[in-house]
Amino acid sequence: MTITTERSASTRRRFQYGDLIVHILLLSLGILIALPIFIGFFTSFKQPTQVMTFPPQLIPRDWTLANYRVALEVTPFGRYLLNSTIQSGIIMIGQVLFSVLAAYAFALLDFPGRNLLFYLVLGSLMIPFELVFIPNFQLVSSLNWGDTYAGLTVPFLASAFGVFMLRQFFLTVPKEYRDSSKIDGAGNWRYLWQILVPLSKGAIGAFAIFAFLSAWNQYLWPLIITNSVKMRTLQIGIRFFMTQLDRGSDWGAVMAGSMIAIVPALIVFLLAQKQLVRGIAMSGLKG
Amino acid sequence: MSQATHSTSVTSTPAPSAARRRKRILSALEGYLYLAPTLIGLALFVYIPIFTSFRLSLNRIAPFGNRMRFVGFENYVNLLTDSDYWNSVRITLLFVLGTVPTGIFLAVVLAILLSYPVAHLKSLHRTLIFVPVIISSAVAGVLFRWLFHPVVGYLNFWMVQAGFFDSMKDAPNWLASKNWALLAVIIATTWRQLGFNVIIALAGVQNIDETFYDASKVDGAGTLQRLRHITLPLLSPTLFFLLIINVIYSFQAFGEIHVLTEGGPGRATTTLVYSIFYDAFVGTPQRGIASAQAYILAVMVVVMSYINFAVVNRRVHYQ
Repeated sequence: MTITTERSASTRRRFQYGDLIVHILLLSLGILIALPIFIGFFTSFKQPTQVMTFPPQLIPRDWTLANYRVALEVTPFGRYLLNSTIQSGIIMIGQVLFSVLAAYAFALLDFPGRNLLFYLVLGSLMIPFELVFIPNFQLVSSLNWGDTYAGLTVPFLASAFGVFMLRQFFLTVPKEYRDSSKIDGAGNWRYLWQILVPLSKGAIGAFAIFAFLSAWNQYLWPLIITNSVKMRTLQIGIRFFMTQLDRGSDWGAVMAGSMIAIVPALIVFLLAQKQLVRGIAMSGLKG
Repeated sequence: MSQATHSTSVTSTPAPSAARRRKRILSALEGYLYLAPTLIGLALFVYIPIFTSFRLSLNRIAPFGNRMRFVGFENYVNLLTDSDYWNSVRITLLFVLGTVPTGIFLAVVLAILLSYPVAHLKSLHRTLIFVPVIISSAVAGVLFRWLFHPVVGYLNFWMVQAGFFDSMKDAPNWLASKNWALLAVIIATTWRQLGFNVIIALAGVQNIDETFYDASKVDGAGTLQRLRHITLPLLSPTLFFLLIINVIYSFQAFGEIHVLTEGGPGRATTTLVYSIFYDAFVGTPQRGIASAQAYILAVMVVVMSYINFAVVNRRVHYQ
């Protein structure tokens, strides 16, 4: 009896010792990984005189918002923020709406050519953006959509990944829901919006967050499709801001701009990490 | 993946009456209406451009305006005999070799650590380690441009302090040096990809059935033996997926390169994708040549995606 308690106590002690090592390892690796962001964060709050000092000091000596003032006044970061929000918002709403509809058709409706069309949609996931962006640029330009929100968003309103992810989820919803709503006389449209969508809030939310962040972080397309300063998204604005200021080396303001570009994504990440991770893990399954 | 589809789609019905046929046509029409927005969007911006792109690649296109002259496969021939093109191929391969193995290795190590059942701080660990996943390629480029700063950059400062270099003057001028610029871009890209890779790797580790570990404990296997004989073999589908998807992503990396080096110095960081962008949109656009490059790249990516798709599918069916 005494022997067994002794042994269990010793294994427990060893276990906690292992815990400690794992904690230390994970925390130090975690801080190392997040360090570029921390450095950007601290730099953005330094007095301009402290930004370029050598040796570099991590923590601001006295904190200031001067860099944010420069970012917002010299370059219209407020406008960039608005543009990114509108662009990502439209893309997210479009992708969610269109994907819900298509996923419903593929999961629950019956029509000729359904499997063929489904594979066609899936197949588009393999097509790299580089193959289509020159024709898309020409098409959007010929519609005079260059430098407009339409040009920024319309090419991305359909999402094959969204269709795939939501279809997979809709297939897991028990058939009894549909049968009983049919008995109640509800058609497809009503069943979809009043029963299925509320039941699928989690999956739809995960996809919406994923869609928003992907759009928010887009780079190549906004770079070529926006011309004027007032139509730039945050990602494009921050890069132009940096190249302009590079010679003057106002890195405090550049970092302030970066933080403005990160914060909305960071808030989404902190509030909805589970859904985001779920969306990403699903995107990993798309193959 | 598509069992449910097959089981419901084909139901043989005896010769339907006119009313029934009309009902079927109507319900089929309803299906197509639900699909219409997605199909139209994909047709306009994915399927049709696949053909347009090929047509462009067979033409010489005047830089301004839309004058095109059919030249057959001349663009392709010119590319394959162009040393700059082969240089981009070389740079791309080096870039892939630099980003992919390191990224996967780090992701697996972190995932195994994260799966260790600690009682507290789990979400803090995850948040710190996952966080690069929300960073855009542009911001990653900007953050690292600051870290790589030759005069006051943290990276060189720390390397000097750690004794790798005698002084800041000896430390590399990352982005202006032909020898170091590619490594700089590789570091920034690997960092940003890490969030995604850890998330996938952790999902893979957590998918491994606990009973395997319990059985190995009974057999008296140690931590390292368990890692070698259980975790890694059972993780191999995930590793394969990570390998393919990372090669594809690295082939397509653009933002970091554009922000950090713009393909330079010289052509030291001009990958295939950067070269496509440059030829299509910078200086005097040569969209025919750019399209030919895009086509070659796309064929490589599609082949890799297909291999991945086929293998992942088979795995799912066998289970």
